[in-house]
Amino acid sequence: MLTTPRLVAIALCAALNFAIGNIVYLIKLPIYLDSIGTILCALLIFPNRLAAIACAFIAGFISTILTGLILNPFLPWFSLTVLSIAIVSALLTGLATATFRTRPLPVVPFVTKVVLYGLITGIVSALASAPVVVYLFGGVTGSGSSFVVALFLKTGQQLLDSVVLAGLATDPIDKTLEVLLAALLYRATPREFIAMLAPAQPSAA
Amino acid sequence: MTPNGAVAFALLVIVSALLARDPVGLLVILTATSCFALASRRPVWSALVWSCGIVLPLVLFMTLVWIIIVGRAPHEIAANVEGSRSAASFYVTIICLRLFIIAFTVQATFLHFAGWTPLRFIGALALPRVAKKLLVLTLSLIDTILQAVDRARTALIGAGLITRQRSWRNLRHGWILVQTVWLTVITIVLGRTRDKWPVEDTLARLEGSLAARATARLSATDFGWMALAIATGVAGLR
Amino acid sequence: MEFIAGTNFSGRSAALMARLRKQAPAFFIGPHAEAALSGLSSTVADEIEIYRAPKPDREAFAPLDFAAYAERRPPTLSGGEQVLLAVHCFSLSDYAAIGIDTALEQLDPDNRHRAISYLTHAESQGISATLADNRLDRPPGMTVHEVTSTSAEFACDLTAAALLPACQPMAIKVQGLSFRYPGGRDIFRNAGVKLESGHAYRLIGVNGAGKTTFCKLLAGVLAADAGAIELDGKPYAPWRTGNRAFAFATQNPDHQWCGATLGEDVTRRRGVLERQGIKVPPDETLAALAARLGVRSMEQHLYELPLVARKRLSWLWAFSGVMPWIMLDEPTLGQDRTTRDALADAIARLSGSGYGVVFITHDDDFAARIAHRPLRISDRLIS
Repeated sequence: MLTTPRLVAIALCAALNFAIGNIVYLIKLPIYLDSIGTILCALLIFPNRLAAIACAFIAGFISTILTGLILNPFLPWFSLTVLSIAIVSALLTGLATATFRTRPLPVVPFVTKVVLYGLITGIVSALASAPVVVYLFGGVTGSGSSFVVALFLKTGQQLLDSVVLAGLATDPIDKTLEVLLAALLYRATPREFIAMLAPAQPSAA
Repeated sequence: MTPNGAVAFALLVIVSALLARDPVGLLVILTATSCFALASRRPVWSALVWSCGIVLPLVLFMTLVWIIIVGRAPHEIAANVEGSRSAASFYVTIICLRLFIIAFTVQATFLHFAGWTPLRFIGALALPRVAKKLLVLTLSLIDTILQAVDRARTALIGAGLITRQRSWRNLRHGWILVQTVWLTVITIVLGRTRDKWPVEDTLARLEGSLAARATARLSATDFGWMALAIATGVAGLR
Repeated sequence: MEFIAGTNFSGRSAALMARLRKQAPAFFIGPHAEAALSGLSSTVADEIEIYRAPKPDREAFAPLDFAAYAERRPPTLSGGEQVLLAVHCFSLSDYAAIGIDTALEQLDPDNRHRAISYLTHAESQGISATLADNRLDRPPGMTVHEVTSTSAEFACDLTAAALLPACQPMAIKVQGLSFRYPGGRDIFRNAGVKLESGHAYRLIGVNGAGKTTFCKLLAGVLAADAGAIELDGKPYAPWRTGNRAFAFATQNPDHQWCGATLGEDVTRRRGVLERQGIKVPPDETLAALAARLGVRSMEQHLYELPLVARKRLSWLWAFSGVMPWIMLDEPTLGQDRTTRDALADAIARLSGSGYGVVFITHDDDFAARIAHRPLRISDRLIS
């Protein structure tokens, strides 16, 4: 399963996850994108679903560990979220790989699939993240969604429910954007690189 | 102290902090971490400042949300009672102390190995060979990507597609920077995987280098620190 | 020492790799900077340790003090420094063979001479070296293997490229220029220079002198700490208002594409330029120019082209006539003699038509073909 090209793809996608934060900062965008590499890794290795899940998860996990060591020590606690994104990407988003690479771009199918899989990824991610946000952060992660949580808490909602509802309000937007970027990067990736990631063929006797 | 011992200590402290339920217990754990940081014989203030920098925004947000806006603690919401700001303050204190301990413990671990190269540190970890290779490769590719970001940014600003300052143009075209960087790095990696690595057998060289840096998994010092972490964790639970 | 002679796309690289595979494991330094190093290290010290043999048994090649570079990240080194580091790593290793595919072209003349001398004498230490280099023509003391197969797929014809109508002259005046990188030393301090269009200027200076930095300041990528630039007497601050005067071809062509395909790149640049009121030739004209540079389809995936072809295509906007000034950073890397000579002639035509040209090159023969004025950057000044 872990051939040398796949190890390279995992490392590359992990590095992309890590570095995207720097890119976002340099071009001064008010968003935070941390799973593009995870989703992209799954797309690159699809249709080998099990390998895609494993490689995408490892890529996401390594990037959270390295980010945790160097930039944000709280990110590694979201490993379950990483796993959930890897599973959704390998089993669902991967189904759209043919559409993502079709030239010229089929706009309506492309956008429909990006939005659909982005929403699903966002919902799953919000549900997986909620327990960590509740227990580790007390529901407040220092982003704008904290005020959404505050709103729900003020109305008497339980903490976990408030965090889930706030996550469902914000995560799908972020994840749809990430699926879009991952799809565009997948679309631009040279054929030779994708071919390299196919499982090794047994040599002729 | 070995890297494995430092990682084990850090994990034990972090788990203890997550399980501790009152500020006194967390302060005991924080004391253990501080001793660990001081034992590195390196300036601890940078680790403190960094940890404060990470946690302070969260403290401000939590104060605003829990103490000022909500005005009661989660267990009071669950029990459907009116609650109080002092309960909310207690809750915020616990969370913030935990977060600070996590941040500071990670930094304190780094202090012990400040002069080590990544190869030496990773080689000394008790991890499977493939995990070590992945870590080394990822760190190296992060550098490659960051350098590619800098150079691609140069070119795209020169082409007028993005600007140095915040702008709507960056919002429209920022994705081109991401694409350019990705393709640049893929091309570099393709070249290495196709040509340099097979003919040199470079990955085998890396494995050899990592194996040469393997150390004893745990030392006596490590066991001492781990025992301290467990003891303070138990104390924190009382 | 073996020398593989041939033009671009003659099969030289394949022949070199075939020889190395027979001698595997063998050390390999590819044609561009990133292909020199292992890609497995985060510091220069680690890069050396990966390759160091337990008991190095030959003379080390150390033209730079690599101990001072120990904590530097390898991608932050210049192209030439990366190649020198690679040869240094080889000299400390136990590889019995090395192959270098045109990478030595990135070295300045002194270091290039040192590297070639080291490799030439390597045989006495039991090393087999194989070299491909566009700036060596049947070098003495080397066994020459000629590769003659030619592929017309990316054939380049520059004879009619850069045949453009006369350009409106646009002079550049730089005054009181000061710049330093954050946390670094001064690169320029109160520097000034006047550049007239219709002339070619060669930037000369040691590594780290500020040649590429000067180009970046003119293109607006970096903001000067102090000083002013004027275009035809009018104030020009490209770091605030955007670049409206310089077509910049970077040393590594992959750092300047604005799309995955040639068509995407052209469309995106056209959009920006036209919004700035700059006239852009029609797609047919650009497609014809791209074909002259060796790329015959606008749907061509840029990163699937061979490196030599990508380098040539990076001259597209320089030769399109869109901007009155052109900057070329090491344009001859990887190009055979015929192409280098044709490029020199094209640059001469550009400056003859009134365009201004600024180029950086270590290739003195190439520079000698172009009537140019040297601009020396040293001691934080330009003269």
